[in-house]
Amino acid sequence: MVDSRVTYTESLETINYPKHGGRGVVIEIKDFSLWYGHQQALFNNTLSIERGLVTALIGPSGCGKSTLIRSLNRMNDLIDGLRTQGQIHFSDENIYNPNVDVIGLRKRMGMVFQKPNPFPMTISENVTYPLKVDGIRDRRLLDETAEKALRAAALWDEVKERLHANALGLSGGQQQRLCIARAIAGDPEVLLMDEPCSALDPLATAKIEDLIYQLRGQYTIIIVTHNMQQAARVSDNTAFMYLGKLIEYGDTRTIFTNPKHGRTQDYVTGRFG
Amino acid sequence: MKKAKRSVLIADRVADHTITIGGILVIVAVLAIMVFLIQQALPLFKAGHVTSRVAYDLDAGSEPVAAMAMDEHKTFAVVLLTDGNVIAVHAKTGTRLSSAAADFQGKEITSSATTSDRSSMALGFSDGTIRLARIDFPSAVIPSSELPAGLHKLDDRDLTDGSSVYSRVPGNQYRHISTEIRMEDPLAVSESGKPIVALDCNAGGEAERQTRAFVAVDSNGLATLNTAYGSLNLLTGETRTTVEQTRLPQIPGGVELHAVALTPASGMVLIAGKNGDVYRYNTSDTNAPVLAETTRVLPEGVDLTVFGFLLGGQSLVVGGTDGSLNIFFLLDRDAANTTDGRMLLRTREFERGGSSFVRFDPSPQGKSFAIAEASGALKVIHGTSQKTLMSFTPDSGVAEYRRILLAPRLDGLMAVGSDGRAHFWEFSVPHPETTFGALFRKVWYEGHPEPTFTWQSSAATDEYESKFSLVPLIFGTIKAAFYSLLFAIPIAILGAIYTSEFVHHRMRSVIKPAMEMMVSLPSVVLGFVAALVLAPIVETWIAAVILAFFVIPLALITTAYLWQLLPLRIALRLEGVPKFCLISLTVIAATYGAYRMGPVFEDLFFAGDFKSWLNGSRGSPEPFLFLLFMPVSLIAIGLLASRLRGSRRGDRPEARVHTRAGRIRPAMVDIVRWLVMLMGAALCSYGISRMLGSLGLDARGSLVDTYVQRNTLVVGFAMGFAVIPVIYTIAEDALNSVPEHLRAASLACGATRWQTAIHVVLPTAISGVFSAVMIGMGRAVGETMIVVMSAGNTPIMDINVFNGLRALSATIAVELPEAVKNGTLYRILFLAGLVLFSMTFVINTVAELVRIRFRKRAMQL
Ligand SMILES: Nc1ncnc2c1ncn2[C@@H]1O[C@H](COP(=O)(O)OP(=O)(O)OP(=O)(O)O)[C@@H](O)[C@H]1O
Ligand SMILES: [Mg+2]
Repeated sequence: MVDSRVTYTESLETINYPKHGGRGVVIEIKDFSLWYGHQQALFNNTLSIERGLVTALIGPSGCGKSTLIRSLNRMNDLIDGLRTQGQIHFSDENIYNPNVDVIGLRKRMGMVFQKPNPFPMTISENVTYPLKVDGIRDRRLLDETAEKALRAAALWDEVKERLHANALGLSGGQQQRLCIARAIAGDPEVLLMDEPCSALDPLATAKIEDLIYQLRGQYTIIIVTHNMQQAARVSDNTAFMYLGKLIEYGDTRTIFTNPKHGRTQDYVTGRFG
Repeated sequence: MKKAKRSVLIADRVADHTITIGGILVIVAVLAIMVFLIQQALPLFKAGHVTSRVAYDLDAGSEPVAAMAMDEHKTFAVVLLTDGNVIAVHAKTGTRLSSAAADFQGKEITSSATTSDRSSMALGFSDGTIRLARIDFPSAVIPSSELPAGLHKLDDRDLTDGSSVYSRVPGNQYRHISTEIRMEDPLAVSESGKPIVALDCNAGGEAERQTRAFVAVDSNGLATLNTAYGSLNLLTGETRTTVEQTRLPQIPGGVELHAVALTPASGMVLIAGKNGDVYRYNTSDTNAPVLAETTRVLPEGVDLTVFGFLLGGQSLVVGGTDGSLNIFFLLDRDAANTTDGRMLLRTREFERGGSSFVRFDPSPQGKSFAIAEASGALKVIHGTSQKTLMSFTPDSGVAEYRRILLAPRLDGLMAVGSDGRAHFWEFSVPHPETTFGALFRKVWYEGHPEPTFTWQSSAATDEYESKFSLVPLIFGTIKAAFYSLLFAIPIAILGAIYTSEFVHHRMRSVIKPAMEMMVSLPSVVLGFVAALVLAPIVETWIAAVILAFFVIPLALITTAYLWQLLPLRIALRLEGVPKFCLISLTVIAATYGAYRMGPVFEDLFFAGDFKSWLNGSRGSPEPFLFLLFMPVSLIAIGLLASRLRGSRRGDRPEARVHTRAGRIRPAMVDIVRWLVMLMGAALCSYGISRMLGSLGLDARGSLVDTYVQRNTLVVGFAMGFAVIPVIYTIAEDALNSVPEHLRAASLACGATRWQTAIHVVLPTAISGVFSAVMIGMGRAVGETMIVVMSAGNTPIMDINVFNGLRALSATIAVELPEAVKNGTLYRILFLAGLVLFSMTFVINTVAELVRIRFRKRAMQL
């Protein structure tokens, strides 16, 4: 057990990136609870996400990480019988206000899913989809944005020759980076990533992690992961959830090296989960 | 453990084999149907085949043959020589049978003619008289017990007593056939007693009061049209013949006569000179015949060799010394420089012979004829299909035939050579009327002003030319399918998108099974509802129906825009059933509105009466063109507007939380934009319609024309109802099988549900939707009862929506019960079935191929 702890510390040391320091709070979750029908999935969670930082959500399976991250861009709206309580503020607006423009909200929060889900279209069509949705048809603008997003997602060099090939022909890791590019292309403020590497091999995972380093600062990133090392490597802050409750939230280094709660300690050291 | 594994293996293998065998059986069954249909239809394209051939010497001297006759069973062949000698032979063996010679009191027959049905003939004599005559073959069936003694055998079927023949027929019976030649008294026709050089005759009238008409030309060139009325004296049982004679205007002197021809109703007499000059007399008023036309039927320098009508007197067969063979019709032509506005026109051209055609005999059944070349080659040809049914060449060279004769049932041909040898072929041509060209290409039918595709399979008389073009039926099938799909595809696909993407799943679980149940709605019910209820309603409210096509979509779009004005809180609460009810209400209200506005609309656009507007008797073409271009220009303007808007970036909605006013303003802007687009489209299509109208363009006469109650619009509605559930169910399944994670991806990009449906779900499921459409099309093409009942079944080729049609399937259903087994119509209907089968087969195969591709792609997701 002690060994693994050493590993995390080591990995933290090796990263050695300058800490940005919060540039203020961008998302504020206030006493937020959520029910799927009669089953409560989130219990009075309160949490502030800092602008420009990478926040990791960790916790055992079924603890409500996906539920929470999906609450942020109201993707949960599609689920029948969903009920929420409490507030989530994004740029000082409660996004659970019934008058809120959900479409506009989602445009400001790109999302990357666990399983790569490119559309069965060409690579460039995939990337420019958010623009297409905005009604933009100017070819030059579309091409520019596609290139920018693909470069940002570190995919440009691999696909520039075949922008008009079907995206389903890409490898899993490439597909996931394409999805990230698609999320970036919409020029969002926040990137929500729900286990973006769980379907990928270590090499592809490393590439995505690299990408997250690069995007850091530019976007506020919230990432759900089961991989402790990944959380330790990429995030500034980490939130540990257990059974729908936020147990501990703080600086990643603190969470991994010196957690306050026993459960957190058990989890990050791999005693359960 | 091991045992269990083995049993699983066996079960697996059994299942595998069963499925394989089942699949193969299905394929075999489909192939077997196809093979059966092909096998049934193939004989249509075959020529005939010879069943027997004989040749024998007729002890006929060197006298020319005046007439020949044969009975229906090809037992007797009777040859009448010009000196009155009659040679009767047993046709199959050439055995001479006794028959009385006719007594012409030393006069020679100088010309002769037979009516087209061969019921009687006219013989012209050297003294200018004419005798009407007939050669009959009285027959009776007797049991074999009554067979007289002392018969000798002719062949293994026939016995003879020397003059008559007993033929064995099934059921241990014999058919007794004899010959009987009846001559009527001479009628003096040529005033000057000159020999009759050319003659043609026709039978008419009823059985009690028979008339026979004949034209005769004597050696002075005097042509007369004679009508002989036979009246039966009931006391004595004798018939007396009275003749009415009319002189035809004199033909120019010096014309060397070749032949005369008379049409059945005596409406026209043609006198043909050897050089190809033809004088056409219009004799419809028998008391005042006029020379209507003088024309040439052959090029300069070519002489006439064959000149005569086919059965029915409409197709004039003309052969020349250049080996040409053509058919002429008498047709109305504006350019005709004749007194009655009609002229003889060459309409069909036959393959040239190696030498000129010199002998000709029309069949008394249908439009076939036999023709003999100077070289001795013989052919049997069908006039309409131009198919060479048979061709013969005698083994021994023949210098020339004195005469040729087709057996009455088109199953034998006898030719008497100048050497006195008779050649007799028996053959069978079951389907003379059909060739690929006759079935699928334009044919110039008798009496038609130009070549057409026509289907008119059954007729009242033998003389009728059957018209077997499948093209109008294929056209009808496609037309019905096209219009029903035009109606069904948008509704079915929009409905599928609506239920799979927008409707609450509880609602969906009601709508989907309901639609699936509609698939099993018996089409015969739809058919008669369409024919008996819908058709009269549509006819009465036609203007309202047309208006509804515009009002309903406009009302729906307007309601959708107004919906956006609702406060979000209320809108959210009304999502689901109330919204669905609102949509239904909108449709109902729009329909009612169209119904109420119908008359006003009719006044405004169609000068108060749509049907007389259609006929072109009133109103101008612009209003309809306006309606036609309205949707087109609306779509065009919509695309243009979105393109213009799309080229700007940066107007991303920054509004985070919509206040009430913040939400209403964009919605208002949207409505205004929509209204402006609508106005623009109206203006645009008004301009287009004015322009096209001033160019003289009119949709009437092509796209829309005379209104028939059971029309394509009604078929489109009814068949649409049959097809909508099919397309809907399959398309909905396809849309539904689009993985949820694609929808999530799209929504997470900030797409609306509509954008997700159109840009992601539909393209992903497009092959499934396409195959839904193809299967719907397959259903529409094969659908029978609806088209039988509501399409009017008129086999016309007309794109007019307001006219009826006749589909392949309907034709098969309607005509097969009446078709004689293995007859031409019967086989053509099988061919129609094969065409239909191929159409649906191709459609379904394409659908299946697309589906397979779709599955592959779905697997990748
Ligand atoms: N659509 C849904 N309907 C009902 N219950 C749900 C739904 N989605 C999730 N849940 C429940 O909510 C709880 C939290 O689920 P969630 O998916 O957020 O867990 P998670 O932390 O993402 O787990 P994992 O790490 O396995 O992805 C679980 O108990 C789950 O069963
Ligand atoms: Mg999860």
